[in-house]
Amino acid sequence: MEMLLMVLCMSMFALAVTAIAFGAATHPAKSSSPDTPELRPVKAVAPGRFFADRVVPPDSPGSYVPTEVLLAQIENHVRLEQAAAQSFLESPSHAQLHTKTTSVFVN
Amino acid sequence: MAPDRSELLKDLTADEAQRILAFGSRLTVPSGASLFQLGDPAERLFLIERGRIRLTLPMQVRGRQEDVVVEERTAGQTVGWSALIPPHKFTLAATAPLETEVIALPREDLRKHFAAHPTVGHKITLNLAVVIGHRLQLFQAMWLREMQRTVEKHSA
Repeated sequence: MEMLLMVLCMSMFALAVTAIAFGAATHPAKSSSPDTPELRPVKAVAPGRFFADRVVPPDSPGSYVPTEVLLAQIENHVRLEQAAAQSFLESPSHAQLHTKTTSVFVN
Repeated sequence: MAPDRSELLKDLTADEAQRILAFGSRLTVPSGASLFQLGDPAERLFLIERGRIRLTLPMQVRGRQEDVVVEERTAGQTVGWSALIPPHKFTLAATAPLETEVIALPREDLRKHFAAHPTVGHKITLNLAVVIGHRLQLFQAMWLREMQRTVEKHSA
């Protein structure tokens, strides 16, 4: 009988401790008191990305292009512009003067 | 070089062309070698006999100076007309992207020959005016295209 009472008391004590702990954990946080300064994040955290689901464009069109490729693009641009200018000289018109080319610098 | 194959010797008789070419010396420019540099004194005019000449201007690309091709000239065409136009300094650099053969015509010899043979001088000057005029018109059109894009970009 004594043993049974002891187990019962221990169970009640354990239940009380569990209830207090549960109550503390689930209690809503109190609003910050005027004495406590509000902490703000120093730097905004960028939204998380998983395997870069959104491609961020570079700051400038040529930022990540190797210099050799950039030079080839410049040369190609000059050729295309000359060809367009040549077409204009052969049959001068407003439309011919401003024809679009496929150059990466104007698209 | 036959007169009809050269933009500079166009409309000259075979005899007149031969007398001009007699002043020239044939040069072979190895692949990748320079024919003249920007700012060099322009003492000779060059007729391209074979190959190709790239005319370039310096441009700053990512903090480095790079030679950017502005024009390419092929066989029968003329480079280095600054030799006949004051202040006789090259305003572009010229290199050969492949082994190229040119005929170099000294300015002083041409000047004396033109003084003695004004008809020949007149024909060659007209041919040179066509070359220069064509480049002027081409770059004028290119410049206007660029200006148009700049205006559109800034007024958008």
